[in-house]
Amino acid sequence: MQTYISHHNFHTLLDTLITGGIRVVAPRLTAGTLLYAPLGESGDMVLDQLPRRSAKEAFFPVCEDILSYEKGGQQVRLTDVEPATFPVTVLVGVRPCDAAAIPVLDAVFSWDYKDEFFLERRRKTTVIGIACTTADDACFCTAVGLSPAETKGSDLFLTPVADGGYLCDICSEKGEALVADGSSLFTELGNVTPLPFASPAVPAFDLKKVKGWLDGHFEDPLWDGTALRCVGCGACAFVCPACHCFDIVDEGTEKSGKRRKSWDACGFWKFTHHASGHNPRDKQPKRYRNRIMHKFKYYDDKFGQTLCTGCGRCVRICPVGIDIAAIVAEIDGMAVE
Amino acid sequence: MCDLTNRNIYLPHLVTVADMIDETPDVRTLRLVFQDEQLREKFTFRAGQFAEYSSFGAGEATFCIASSPTHAGYIECCFRSVGRVTEELRRLEVGDTMGVRGPYGNSFPLEEFYGKNLVFVAGGIALPPLRTLIWNCLDLRERFGDITIVYGARTESDLVYKRELAEWQERGDVRLVKTVDPGGNGPHWDGQVGFVPTILGEAAPAAENSIALVCGPPIMIKFTLPVLETLGFSDDQVYTTLENRMKCGLGKCGRCNVGNVYVCKDGPVFTARQVKGMPMEF
Repeated sequence: MQTYISHHNFHTLLDTLITGGIRVVAPRLTAGTLLYAPLGESGDMVLDQLPRRSAKEAFFPVCEDILSYEKGGQQVRLTDVEPATFPVTVLVGVRPCDAAAIPVLDAVFSWDYKDEFFLERRRKTTVIGIACTTADDACFCTAVGLSPAETKGSDLFLTPVADGGYLCDICSEKGEALVADGSSLFTELGNVTPLPFASPAVPAFDLKKVKGWLDGHFEDPLWDGTALRCVGCGACAFVCPACHCFDIVDEGTEKSGKRRKSWDACGFWKFTHHASGHNPRDKQPKRYRNRIMHKFKYYDDKFGQTLCTGCGRCVRICPVGIDIAAIVAEIDGMAVE
Repeated sequence: MCDLTNRNIYLPHLVTVADMIDETPDVRTLRLVFQDEQLREKFTFRAGQFAEYSSFGAGEATFCIASSPTHAGYIECCFRSVGRVTEELRRLEVGDTMGVRGPYGNSFPLEEFYGKNLVFVAGGIALPPLRTLIWNCLDLRERFGDITIVYGARTESDLVYKRELAEWQERGDVRLVKTVDPGGNGPHWDGQVGFVPTILGEAAPAAENSIALVCGPPIMIKFTLPVLETLGFSDDQVYTTLENRMKCGLGKCGRCNVGNVYVCKDGPVFTARQVKGMPMEF
């Protein structure tokens, strides 16, 4: 179902939510960096650029407490973190590449053991996605089967209109509820002209073909040929909307402190380092291979999905210019049907 | 099994260190008793499963549950102090509190081994993952055929569970072949001298109606599998456990995978056939 909201009414909607005690998270300048962060007022929102990090941190924070401990004598007292205390949130201005990654992450956090830290935030968050009208040369959502108008992962999806307002696609019950709550702000579709969608330049990959090649090329000269230069900084994983590897670390003193779940990256040498000193991924190309394999083969094997939404952040941020889209394009070119 | 009523899957159970045994100068066994009385009764696991052990303030480390499921009321872990968590676990004293999450992972298909001869092959600190199964089988002794244990370490001092090795040696219903690497034997050593794969070849347990269970450093496994093959063991008759680094143990954190296999969920117990089908990433 489609409806319309003017630019002014959209801001009124967000400000009403904020004053009503709802946590509104949107792209906002934070210490000079555009990140998805809680808004104090809608005017702080920046919608014309892709934030440095993805929207996944609204569900899976960079670092979060999972328990706290306190020692007294030989006893230890643990305090649980109660996901029920997580705030109801509206996540706004989410690009299609970021929004599409959210349901992809549902698979890993909900199969078998349920990670309530992620899942409770999912339940409590309404996602307002927004179509892209511009793309840069690192964008490649169309190459992985998505598009600048992809609504996957959004509860309400905005398409910018020439007059500054938005065409609103209601994509879920949560989106429907949001529109119902602010019904006076939404109006019927008039004679509006949506802005043309962006068109990323990277040609579409044949993801089946790519996976087929990866199935048979764990050992291949490609890995040394593309990733010897990788410095293992992990930046690609930290900006990625779909990377979800994490570490569990205690931070505190011997007497008291917290246990935290923090983002980690398969590019780090210590990631797979055994206590014995043995490391199954002892060289950087092996670690980079895992990155590609996880995204385009393993996650597909396990959950039937690709773990890349083509946001291009890793391409933009890599200090040594490794371009995942170019590598996958090369694999696509080598793959035999 | 896991406590599904606990919504925080990362929250450990509190346990008391009931006893500790120094197996070697740097390998220690801790006997742990759950502080929650109900859990003490309820906690069950199968041989081969592992757990995450907490030293609060240092973090968690992954080890197998080294005691047998047939020994109720406590669990044991056995570890070498090599990192921050294990150094802290080593500083614990009897009566101190630590944490345990688990049990996790698959297990040895014990029931499929009924009526068969069992050949255990272990090296160094890799005896604990088999020791749980060895005692499990010894406690159900009449269900199995011949039991052979080939166990070796670099030196006499590096052998773990020395008192149990003596017990197995005394028993008439177990064949224990213990060995140390050349140069690792003292003047009173009463076992073999040689590397585990060689000694296994010499001991030559029959493959017919047998299962081999192999645990050791990657290099030992690499040289042991061909020996078993020569003895006539098929890849389906050989089991091992993989020990990749883990954090969550729950199939989320993403580091223990060997190709598309999650060791924490699909393993840690695999047949040699399964292992041979995996990429070299362990």
